Amino acid sequence: MIGVDRLTVTFGAVRALREVTLRAETGQITAVLGANGAGKTTLLRTISGLVTPRSGTVSLDERVLTRLKPEEIARLGVGHVPEGRGVIAEFTVEENLRLGAIVAKVPLEEGLAQQYEAFPVLGQRRKQHAAKLSGGERQMLAMARALIARPSVLLLDEPSLGLAPLVTAQLMATVAELCATSDLTVVLVEQNASSALRIAHHAVVLNVGSVVADASAAEVAADERLRQYYLGMVE
Amino acid sequence: MSPVARHGAVALGALVVAVALALTLAPRASDAVALVVVAAVAAAAGLVGSLPTVRTEHPALARAMLTVILVDAVVFATAFLSVPTDFNLATGAGMAIVLLGLSFLTGASGQISIGNGAFMGVGAFATAIWANHHATTPIVVTLLISVVVGALFGLLLGLPATRLRGPYLAGMTLAFAVAFPAILSSFSSWTGGDSGLQLPNTATAPHWLVGLFHAGTPTLTTDTLWLTDIVMVATGVAFFLMANLFASRTGRAMRLVRDNDVAAELVGVPLPRTRVIAFVISAAYAALGGALWTLLNNSVSPATYGFALSITILAVIVIGGIGTISGAIIGGVVYAYSTNVIAWFVAHTGLNPQGNLASQLNGIIFGALLIVTMMFSPMGIAGTYRHLRARRAHARERE
Repeated sequence: MIGVDRLTVTFGAVRALREVTLRAETGQITAVLGANGAGKTTLLRTISGLVTPRSGTVSLDERVLTRLKPEEIARLGVGHVPEGRGVIAEFTVEENLRLGAIVAKVPLEEGLAQQYEAFPVLGQRRKQHAAKLSGGERQMLAMARALIARPSVLLLDEPSLGLAPLVTAQLMATVAELCATSDLTVVLVEQNASSALRIAHHAVVLNVGSVVADASAAEVAADERLRQYYLGMVE
Repeated sequence: MSPVARHGAVALGALVVAVALALTLAPRASDAVALVVVAAVAAAAGLVGSLPTVRTEHPALARAMLTVILVDAVVFATAFLSVPTDFNLATGAGMAIVLLGLSFLTGASGQISIGNGAFMGVGAFATAIWANHHATTPIVVTLLISVVVGALFGLLLGLPATRLRGPYLAGMTLAFAVAFPAILSSFSSWTGGDSGLQLPNTATAPHWLVGLFHAGTPTLTTDTLWLTDIVMVATGVAFFLMANLFASRTGRAMRLVRDNDVAAELVGVPLPRTRVIAFVISAAYAALGGALWTLLNNSVSPATYGFALSITILAVIVIGGIGTISGAIIGGVVYAYSTNVIAWFVAHTGLNPQGNLASQLNGIIFGALLIVTMMFSPMGIAGTYRHLRARRAHARERE
């Protein structure tokens, strides 16, 4: 469970997050939605310690994460797949996966086998350079790299960015399956609200740094006002 | 034929050829015995290193065997080369160690140091000062002490490196390189001031080596040969350790820090500690190179470790190829032979530079070479070779 309590983040005079409070329950997918500049990425970066908040706390289960270093938070089991994926193009698929287990002391061979089973396309391309992968494959590689450290929480930042609708649908199905077959807590940041809402249990909508809605995914999806004003889902 | 049998046959063939060569070339029976032993070591290492299971399952052992073969071959060759050639090669090998350290710092962790000539001086003076106070310490121990001293200086300067990036870090190391001669002269009771230090005793070759090789002036030849071989073995060890580091968890973590420091933090790599470790390793390698130079010259002079050396180191590593192991070796050879090549060039083209031009010709040609490298092959000789090979492989894949 990830708990965020009255989190405020400022960059100079700009408030990126204002008193944001939310909970991402264990074993569920919590979608964080909103337009450009709503503060979605900042929220994830603050959870994983890349950004220090001005006030408020982030906690993992009962443990307060605020002010820990990013590498300490990573070791506590928070996996973050950043926007743009952070895959090293000149490394092979397997070398990239090994990077995920650099610090986490997990059985590497077993972890590799597990990820190749979860993402068969990575197994087929294990010796290829990541530069040769398609966008969807890169996103899978980034996810597998985070998962190989066996996190209890997975933070996904815009996984659908730059992907074709069909690839996005496949990716979302994979995330849903991951969550269903384990106790993984997923925080899914998306601009593509409809595909995120399809798999999410819970949804939080941000607007200019503030929470404007916090409800079940079904409720958010059914709310005409939210759809129109904040999610850009106009029929 | 199974791969093991094939490798065995190749190794056996190489051994037979080496033995035959040894028997024809060596003037005395004891020389021939030594050469046969050298050839046998290389053949055995080659066999073990080329076994398919060793290559895939135990890469460190395979690298160790490759190191044994290369060092063995070089040691074999130095026994037949002239004294000046041996000396040149050993000087180049010492430089190659320094280049490897810098190459690692820049190529693997993305930091830059302009002060590695000064770190080299730290090692060089540490060896001379220690030897003058404790003349009986074995060479290996003296070298290790110098490496530790170099690493400590690296730590001292590397700690601020966690806060400095790019040009600012370069500026700090530059300041160290510029200040180093002044530091040496202000501690002249230790460092001997402008005249530097002599080692109290020459490292003499052990009796069995003197007994084995009797060409030329006996004592001089065997002592230089002995020192050269010490340098070569040290170089082999240094390269072996670095090759393992490149391929290790730590090496991969460092490359991740270079390419994407945010991703590195997110997989749990502590950035400041990783950067300091890289800096310390690079300083320790520089110190080892300097320590070997002191041994080789039997003395150390502050003039050697001025600011120009730091710049030369940067120039040579760029020409050789930054971030690769072979680039450091190429750079070392370029350093050792540039003067000779330029002298040969002058002698054979009929050019007869006078006065200022003659004394500066070395620097001028070096500078021109650097500019050409930056323009046409910014990855250096090793990088360009690698690039061409990758392109060929790519073309084959498409066919």
